[in-house]
Amino acid sequence: MWFMRCQVSCGRYRDGVKECDGMRDISQSIPNEDHVEKVSGKSLYVSDIKMDHLLYAKTVRSIHPKAKIINIEIPELPKDYFIIDYKDIPANNYVKMIFDDWPVFAEKTVNYIGEPIMLVIGKNKQTINEIIDQIRIEYKVLKPIFEYKTSVVHKEFKKGNPKQALLKPFKKISFIYETGYQEQAYIEPQGFIAYPEEDEKITLIGSIQCPYYVKNAVLNTMGCAEDKVRVIQPSVGGAFGGKEEYPSIMACQLAVAVKKIGKPIKMIFEREEDMTVTTKRHPSKIRLTAAIDANHRIQGVKAHVSLDSGAYIGLSGVVLARAMIASTSAYTIENLDISGDVYSTNTVPNGAFRGFGAPQMIFAIEMMVHHIAKKLNIDPFQFRMAHLAKQGDLTSTNGLFRDPIIMEKMIQKATEISHYHEKVKEYQDPNIYKGIGMSWFLHGCGFTGSGESTHINAKVKLKKDKNNQVYVLVAAVDMGQGAKTALKKIVVETLKCPPHQVTFDNPDTDFVPDSGPTVASRTIMIVGGLLARAALKLKNTWKPDQEMEVLEQYQQPEYIKWDEDLMIGDAYPAYSWGVNVVEVEVSPVTYQTKVKGIWSVYDVGKAIDERMVLGQADGGIAQGVAYGYLEVMKHEQGKIKQKTMTDYIIPTSVDMPKTETVIFENPYVFGPYGAKGVGELTLVGGAPAVALAIEQAIGKKIHEIPATPEYLMELINHEYD
Amino acid sequence: MSMIKFTLNEKEIELNLDPSTRLLDVLRNHLNLTGPKEGCGEGECGACAVLLDGHIVHSCCLPLANVQGKEIMTIEGFSETKRYQTLADAMLEEGGSQCGICTPGMMIAAESLLNQNPKPTEDEIRIGISGNLCRCTGYNMIVKAIQTASKKGDGLW
Amino acid sequence: MVKHTIPKNLQEALNYLYESSYHVIAGGTDLMIQKRNTAELPPLFNSNMLYVFNLEELKYVIKEENQIRIGAMTSLETLLHHPDIPQLLKDVIKEMASPGIRNVATLAGNIGNASPAGDSLVPLYLLDAIIVLASIYQNRYLPIEKVIIGPRKTVIQPNELIKEIIIPNHDFSKVSWVKVGGRQADAISKVSFAGAVTIDDDIITDFRIALGAVYMTVIRNRNIEKLYKTMSVEQFKGDINSILSHYKDLIKPIDDQRSNKIYRQKVALNLIEDFIKNI
Repeated sequence: MWFMRCQVSCGRYRDGVKECDGMRDISQSIPNEDHVEKVSGKSLYVSDIKMDHLLYAKTVRSIHPKAKIINIEIPELPKDYFIIDYKDIPANNYVKMIFDDWPVFAEKTVNYIGEPIMLVIGKNKQTINEIIDQIRIEYKVLKPIFEYKTSVVHKEFKKGNPKQALLKPFKKISFIYETGYQEQAYIEPQGFIAYPEEDEKITLIGSIQCPYYVKNAVLNTMGCAEDKVRVIQPSVGGAFGGKEEYPSIMACQLAVAVKKIGKPIKMIFEREEDMTVTTKRHPSKIRLTAAIDANHRIQGVKAHVSLDSGAYIGLSGVVLARAMIASTSAYTIENLDISGDVYSTNTVPNGAFRGFGAPQMIFAIEMMVHHIAKKLNIDPFQFRMAHLAKQGDLTSTNGLFRDPIIMEKMIQKATEISHYHEKVKEYQDPNIYKGIGMSWFLHGCGFTGSGESTHINAKVKLKKDKNNQVYVLVAAVDMGQGAKTALKKIVVETLKCPPHQVTFDNPDTDFVPDSGPTVASRTIMIVGGLLARAALKLKNTWKPDQEMEVLEQYQQPEYIKWDEDLMIGDAYPAYSWGVNVVEVEVSPVTYQTKVKGIWSVYDVGKAIDERMVLGQADGGIAQGVAYGYLEVMKHEQGKIKQKTMTDYIIPTSVDMPKTETVIFENPYVFGPYGAKGVGELTLVGGAPAVALAIEQAIGKKIHEIPATPEYLMELINHEYD
Repeated sequence: MSMIKFTLNEKEIELNLDPSTRLLDVLRNHLNLTGPKEGCGEGECGACAVLLDGHIVHSCCLPLANVQGKEIMTIEGFSETKRYQTLADAMLEEGGSQCGICTPGMMIAAESLLNQNPKPTEDEIRIGISGNLCRCTGYNMIVKAIQTASKKGDGLW
Repeated sequence: MVKHTIPKNLQEALNYLYESSYHVIAGGTDLMIQKRNTAELPPLFNSNMLYVFNLEELKYVIKEENQIRIGAMTSLETLLHHPDIPQLLKDVIKEMASPGIRNVATLAGNIGNASPAGDSLVPLYLLDAIIVLASIYQNRYLPIEKVIIGPRKTVIQPNELIKEIIIPNHDFSKVSWVKVGGRQADAISKVSFAGAVTIDDDIITDFRIALGAVYMTVIRNRNIEKLYKTMSVEQFKGDINSILSHYKDLIKPIDDQRSNKIYRQKVALNLIEDFIKNI
């Protein structure tokens, strides 16, 4: 049983007063741990770090989406300039990820525009450019594939009796929804410094989310002993999943280079390079068929999810799994036939981005449920209410919603603060081009299924020195979400000590155990949970003025049963829930959408730090809503067309309205202080909320996102069924 | 190469460099001031922002030649001032900084705005930081921080 | 080896231009990015550069009886806050780029850059701006539509620089500006529209339309406009379809990473229609 102090209450307002039992409430915000460095510009990001004898690396990349490399001509290199390619790799030419198909350097074939072929390394960037200009690569161009043709991962699962349900229903309605790329667009581009240390050790400092992913990938590529690789995290300027697996590629390349050259090497991507060659959110095409009975209940859903993985699979299988599991969103549907395929195309490989498959699916489901109601001519709100999941229901994968679900209260709150019902009525008038949309959703916290125990096996450590200073040793990366502050807070609260007695330094794999990657909304719930246990142990066995060490390891709760192949059981240990309301105005002259208001209500169990959760809410919804109407990235014959911050449009301060967020408490019994996952929840509902609002404003159905002005114009000026 | 003379963080300096050098590179590489960041290299994200005669400019697209005889202030210089402290405290209170990469640029933008307009409306604040992209915060807490600083810093601007 | 020259005053600048060929650079926000090199390397300027940004004598706004004279190096942000600048120009500048860019960008820089999507050019065309091109020999006074002759092409001679922009006074009954970008700030226009009309006793005495980003240069057609001067407002509004079909022939937008032809053309026509309907 986790140590938990706060009682369930019915709601908290941002500047309201909380009724509590008089003890200090952990949710009460404290100063951000690294505030002073960040606000003064003293925080060191990888690009800020300087070193003696530093060399620079630049990548030479494929210019064809699919080709054979016939010949490469290298000019004569000046002294102290080097070429590093696949021939220099000591052990394995693939980057260890979930699916190990991603080469460190291309050998005989290239499969996407931008695929790395070699590094050119030297002291002077000008000279490096001149060398690259003289490199001649002879290609045999092959026919690329850009359509959903080649399936490389297939998954499926069923719930109940979908065949029966879909056989002869009262009504059967089918839909197709499509979603586009989304680029993480972290303001700090990707980068690494790698340098040699004594005894053939290689150290890497990089903008990363997962120090041990990087370390393990490098160990695998180099084939060296475990103590020969060290990974250090500097300040990280935003990541959002884009720095989950991609950095391992750069790290492997640089490790190979450092081994050969023996000098420190710095490789920082410029924005265009970062935009065109790093992983993005998988574009998707989702086909849905719903079987409805005479009582207007959705009896069954058949769904197929197609994801475009780009040239290599990487994490795509897990993204597919999460998308499929999200197929019922916040609803309970008795009979399901869910399948999905990852399709390989000759485009930039896609990967992790906050939400990880859920945003695509939640968009499709929310639109579908709404569209069904419209087709049946019934009130969408009541229709959705009738299907809302309840505690005790079976999840999409025949797991159980064990914990209390307070969505009804949350929905009521959301409609209250946004005046949703009044506006829905008012905006029926087609001549005013205004609309309001609401999305209901959940997000499974932590790694899907048995990932925590089979893949990660998280370990955390607390060390205490003779001066009673406690060190938090975990591999969790603070990339802006406040992990450092929140995790430290958990330890401080449990030890009941002054904050300055606990130190949390950015992870360094030489000193911290592998507590797992900073992904999947697991950091507070799993890593924080382990730290709470460790802190309790430390407190109970405290030996003043003596060195101590406490290690805690993850134990899969008994009740989590998951069959990976059949995809049956509890996909996640816990679920966080959310409601988003978005109000828009569309111009009938320019077809542009103006977002006028955003309201959100979230159940994250317990906010470990309220301001931090509200910050995640603001940032997440900005990304989620923009995914729905603003951010456009397309490729043409495998070439990314939007490759600058000018052309890839993310919201500015003028595009965002004021947001209002309410956090409800619904403590999770197995979470530290009742906390569940936060990081991704706040993004997944934004797109359907804005799309539904736009639908009302223009009186036409939206089937794809981003719902750009160009798309809206097409809808308004043509009759679509 | 030319001799460019200007004031940097209230100190007069003279540099003998290629006048077309980006001010951002002069600051980061020649003068070791890593407060201004390179987020996009095309004047779009504002992470490179510095003050030129008290006004925000994007140092990634300003040639060194154009600062001849001017006053340049980076976040390093600004952080020595009382105005900075008021803004920094407000940012802490309101949660305006998450990953921190846009933060130095936002501080510069806030100073540039309040310099011109000590009591801006919310819309004016949003316009004032419209050239600074943030991917973490959705801007609201930054806007609130500037409002708070403007209120608490009565008389400073 | 290219020369980088920072003239101390206008006369010096003109002398330099007489002696050698230079590329004139103002604030730098266009050229520094167009000629961008790898990060940490200076831009790829392959001609001599003349830095005129700091010529203080070119920073002014002078109000005369019938016109405003703007010094070439006056920043857009300065114009935005200047009481004598026409409201239309302020409305345009307000939505251009961002404060950081506006603090160093200039009308002269925009004119020299001659981008088909350049916002500030649209009001200059609408307001009949005259551009003063100075050389060591003379000052040439050219209407803006004679200065810009194509995408990034001007008639500015190698020994000339833009010295001043003259905007005649106008007293329109109604002026409108609409910028259609990808987002509300910091965006390159997909389409931009400026319209003005003067009505005396229910008769149209002046009617102007200028469109940006939908052709190689700003579209302003005085022949079309002439057809509608001296018409009654009622007849004018009734003639809307013929007005639109005139402009339709001139609007020749492109497909690019920001938008497509169909959208640009439709929206441009919508903007004209909306303007006329609301007169």
